[in-house]
Amino acid sequence: MSSPSVIAVAGPCGSGKTTWIKQFLKDETAPFFYFYPGLDRSPVDLIRIGYCFPWVQVIADQQATQVLSSLPEVAVVYVELGFHVTLDSLRLSALPHYQVAVLPPHFQDSVWHEWADEIVPGNDIAIPDAAKLPELWHAPLHGQVFDPASLEVVLTELTGGAYGDVHRLKGIFEMPDGQALYIDFVAGLEGIEYTELNIPRWLEGRPDRWSGIEVMGDNLQPKIISQTLLDACLADEVIAYYQQQYQALSPV
Amino acid sequence: MKLAVISCIHGNYEALNAVLSDIDRHKTDQIYCLGDLVGYGPHPNEVVEMIRSLDIPTCQGCWDEDIVEGLNACECSYPSQLAEKRGKQAHEWTNQVIHPKVRDYLDQLPMTLQTENLAFVHGSPNSQHEYLLPSMDGFAALERVVSTGADVLFCGHTHVPYLRELEDGKLSVRVHQPGQDARQHQFTTPLKRIINAGSVGEPRHGRPHATYVLYDTDTAQVTLREVPYAYEKTCAAIIEKGLPPIFAWRLARGMEFAERADDPSHVCQR
Repeated sequence: MSSPSVIAVAGPCGSGKTTWIKQFLKDETAPFFYFYPGLDRSPVDLIRIGYCFPWVQVIADQQATQVLSSLPEVAVVYVELGFHVTLDSLRLSALPHYQVAVLPPHFQDSVWHEWADEIVPGNDIAIPDAAKLPELWHAPLHGQVFDPASLEVVLTELTGGAYGDVHRLKGIFEMPDGQALYIDFVAGLEGIEYTELNIPRWLEGRPDRWSGIEVMGDNLQPKIISQTLLDACLADEVIAYYQQQYQALSPV
Repeated sequence: MKLAVISCIHGNYEALNAVLSDIDRHKTDQIYCLGDLVGYGPHPNEVVEMIRSLDIPTCQGCWDEDIVEGLNACECSYPSQLAEKRGKQAHEWTNQVIHPKVRDYLDQLPMTLQTENLAFVHGSPNSQHEYLLPSMDGFAALERVVSTGADVLFCGHTHVPYLRELEDGKLSVRVHQPGQDARQHQFTTPLKRIINAGSVGEPRHGRPHATYVLYDTDTAQVTLREVPYAYEKTCAAIIEKGLPPIFAWRLARGMEFAERADDPSHVCQR
């Protein structure tokens, strides 16, 4: 009799945990599950995995106990442990699992090394300071649509350190052409990554689906970040104007 | 004769002082200023007083005009909604602190200055708000210079200094008018030059240093100058005077505060 495969994946912020997991989720026929404990309030990764791999069952925090206790025998479960979750998570200790740490190359002698069954080389980011966890700030942006040029300015300033020392930024942002973008920044890696999410364009009023931002770093200034983001959001009449133009270009 | 041409000071007194000292060291005969004395920076009154006291011939910049006439921007003024909001914040602050005499001075500034074969404008001969970008279509650029009757056109406004040479050549234009046969017109133009002086107080070339231009009328030699100055003092003043702190952050990195043109084919509607 076989049992579910549970793979716990840990590593510092920006090391490439989600990227490593994503490579295994492409098989549409496998019964994949994805769980990121503690991410319900800032579910950027949960939402993105759901959009990119609709066949993967994404487990929310409140469902976790029930879903993990009744997994099908052939299930493959990826559990991503963020830097804010302790490695000896209670829920996982009850399940037989394989532990993978995605770590920057040249990084040695850490709690992740002691914990892992397997070390996978990840992004070449700065070695994290184990004694000081970064701040985590997140904000929902439900219904907000961004002026693309303004969003670029905000992201340049944020990632350049204008509002604190940002190590990692990720988010889902709605655009006036109805597309939603996944945006990802890791300090130490080149540039900001923009990915169009493969979901229907929203061209009827303010989008009624999840969007939001998550920022990790030091000395963050949440109030100014929030205000600057809001200054980059479009008003109702501007959104309506753009949507009218895009509908005329490509009628449904 | 050795000229210094400065532009786009934007209320940055520290930068202006550093540039004037550099000009002094180069022993120039005359300084020209291409406007935008105010806007974004923390010392608009002091900058105007300095320019006035030195009796520097100055043409009116877009910010100088806006402080007199009020904001009425064309879309090329702001590349984004955020930039527009920040531009309006800067305008409101400047409008509140500017002295009546300074406003009167800005009001009487001419749009164009001319001496012999040299013309001086802020943006373009058409408007203080129009950008003459280095990548602008050659014919349109030539038209702007020819319209002044000069051989060398000095401009600013883009905040990035450059020298553009428009080679001498023949222009051929075919004109169709209703009820008449098409007529061919030919023009011969000698070498024309556009010299952008960059920006003293708000550089956008990726470094915080002030830029300006030296020009020798005898040899036609152009020297683009980049002058380090204590930009940290201006950054501190921006915050102290209640301007948005992001202006200080951007100034220290040689990034534009808010305005930036990126479409060389755009014809300003202001």
